[in-house]
Amino acid sequence: MLSVFENNSAMRWLGKQLFNREDPAAFFDPILSIINPMMVRGLTPARVEAITHAARDTKTFHLKPSPRWSGFRAGQHININVEIDGVRCHRTFSLSSAPAQWEQDGTITLTIKRLPGGKVTNWLHDRLETGTVVGISEAFGEFDIPNVEQPLLYLAGGSGVTPVLSHLVTLADQDYRAPVTVLYYVRTQADEIGAETLRALQARWPALTLVIHRTDEDGPSALMNEAHLEQVPGIKARHCFLCGPPGLMDLAQDLLGRFGIREEQISATFFTAPTPVEVSEPLGGEVRFAGSDVTVESEGDAPLLEIAEAAKLNPKHGCRMGICHQCSCRKTSGTVVNRLTGKASGPGEETIQLCISVPQGDVEVDV
Amino acid sequence: MQQLTNEQLDNLARDLDAIRDEVMADVGERDARYIRRVIRTHRALEIGGRAMLPFGFLPPLFIAGTASLGIAKILENMEIGHNVMHGQYDWMNDPSLHSQTYEWDTVCTGDSWRYTHNYEHHTYTNVIGKDRDYGYAVLRLSDDVKWHPGHLLQFINFTLLSVFFQWGVGLHELETERMRRGEIKLSDKREVLRDLMRKGGRQAFKDYVFFPLLTFPVAPIVLAGNIGANLIRNLWASNVIFLGHFTEDAETFSEDMLEGESRGQWYLRQLTGSSNFTGNKWMHILSGHLSHQIEHHVFPDMPAHRYREIAPRVQKICEKYGLHYNSASFASQYKTVLRKVFHYSLPDRIRTRLQAA
Ligand code: FES
Repeated sequence: MLSVFENNSAMRWLGKQLFNREDPAAFFDPILSIINPMMVRGLTPARVEAITHAARDTKTFHLKPSPRWSGFRAGQHININVEIDGVRCHRTFSLSSAPAQWEQDGTITLTIKRLPGGKVTNWLHDRLETGTVVGISEAFGEFDIPNVEQPLLYLAGGSGVTPVLSHLVTLADQDYRAPVTVLYYVRTQADEIGAETLRALQARWPALTLVIHRTDEDGPSALMNEAHLEQVPGIKARHCFLCGPPGLMDLAQDLLGRFGIREEQISATFFTAPTPVEVSEPLGGEVRFAGSDVTVESEGDAPLLEIAEAAKLNPKHGCRMGICHQCSCRKTSGTVVNRLTGKASGPGEETIQLCISVPQGDVEVDV
Repeated sequence: MQQLTNEQLDNLARDLDAIRDEVMADVGERDARYIRRVIRTHRALEIGGRAMLPFGFLPPLFIAGTASLGIAKILENMEIGHNVMHGQYDWMNDPSLHSQTYEWDTVCTGDSWRYTHNYEHHTYTNVIGKDRDYGYAVLRLSDDVKWHPGHLLQFINFTLLSVFFQWGVGLHELETERMRRGEIKLSDKREVLRDLMRKGGRQAFKDYVFFPLLTFPVAPIVLAGNIGANLIRNLWASNVIFLGHFTEDAETFSEDMLEGESRGQWYLRQLTGSSNFTGNKWMHILSGHLSHQIEHHVFPDMPAHRYREIAPRVQKICEKYGLHYNSASFASQYKTVLRKVFHYSLPDRIRTRLQAA
């Protein structure tokens, strides 16, 4: 019912006048959220239907998004939005389920591994309960299954396998005939994510070749190397998908290059979960002012406001001493240290005050 | 102004920073729950008030509806809007509670307020000539402003300012007093004027056109209720704000003091330029905790309900440095404001004689 304030432009205008906000439908959220949190309009709600064990330190969260969520393509990510200690946190995760499942029963899954020291992943593991409602974003990302049938090669490492699972189930369902090889690198058997799904696929779908390398258990020969790729028949003609930790991705790019595979044949999802910086990390780093497309180096001796001004930008500000919040703006990634408190921020998206924030490592802000 | 040595000033800054750091490290779930509860109360009161007013031909419902809407506006302006725009809840990372985009239920635009209040008033607190909130450029409250016969009538200004407070605040950034002096032209303020028309129009449309027309047969009753609700809010908000800085003992400062001001000096100016009033929990909440104006001025971006908790510690610090912690009941603070408005409406010669008496 409240969607009229979103979809009908006259009502939207009226809503803005009456409620003094750009998203008038969300005016009632504070009340709706106690009646039924699935009714809120300010974000797209999704209910946690079940939480299952997926691998060591890894759980699968089964979510049922509100009907107004518009769906996804295999290989895409979403942001999930939870409140931890009163702070709204967003993190990006790949969907591990196939779109067909969502079409059938309206559920999607995220398979999430605990990151050591990660605020959000640990909270999701320890505190999130079945029945809770979380916020999600629309799906995004271009890690798509090719339109034309062709031989495929997947190189996945650790929890990077999650979007691959979504791909494989989708491919198997459409009875993909071209050969598909998956080389999956994990530490030990206990770390294998989606092992059951993978084995079941292998049993029912003849095009699939699955090789799992357990790097801690099978000795040095299990680390990704040329020999592994040599065993992939017709590797030169394959379209390759890479997804895993940065080290593995670099190595894979390098090896594929040696096999004469061209860049256009490779789809990589560079997305990795942001990790908090070490306390010891020195101040300074590369600062990107996204809104104005300017990138500068910082020595860590000046707050972002001064860095921006030195780069001929003119962000809004007032007191320059941290009291008026005129300079508050969104940091999209990276860590900053608050000069007044000496405390480091989190790594994700949040609001910071430019005049008292000193970059610690690379930072991107919306100026 | 009370004087402290540089060493004392540094210590003062250190003591206050210690409170700030301790509280800010603890800010979290409890504060989020608090502000959400206030927001829920606001929504319930506003919806309730607007639903009751069409039945306002029954006097009890008229009173309940008007009061409910008036209190909703007070809560939204004071405890939600004012505090959210100070950045007290920016750490929650909730886009609808973001200091720089929040828009409140009053004529003054959020942007204008952020500039004149958060920046000008909070940075240059009570500096005559720099802090235009001091007397709102319509009241003479110190002898730094030269007396002229017009000031004799400033009680009228004072009353008008209270009754039409939301419009007064809305017009504030236009700096009409500087226009009259010919320092700026109306065209310099074109943007401010445009935003003001838009926001003022929006507020008037909502309360004086849309909701009355929506309930057409009883339009006059709804209109009267809405006017009443705005009036309640105007009177309360203006007086809370006057009490914060216009009391007799609240000090004023001159511009040359700003030169190279240290953090300690800034703190000192905030402590001695503000005044508190006492009251029960609801007085504090409805004043947006500006009843703790002193705490608010030293820590403008701390979630305001914390002021109540830290007040005893701030008072102790004041005692430690021999500073006057200006706090008294609403009534007695109000009396000193009235006395000040009256005294400064008189020519200096008569005033000094009166004050001496
Ligand atoms: S400029 Fe005032 S808080 Fe940054």
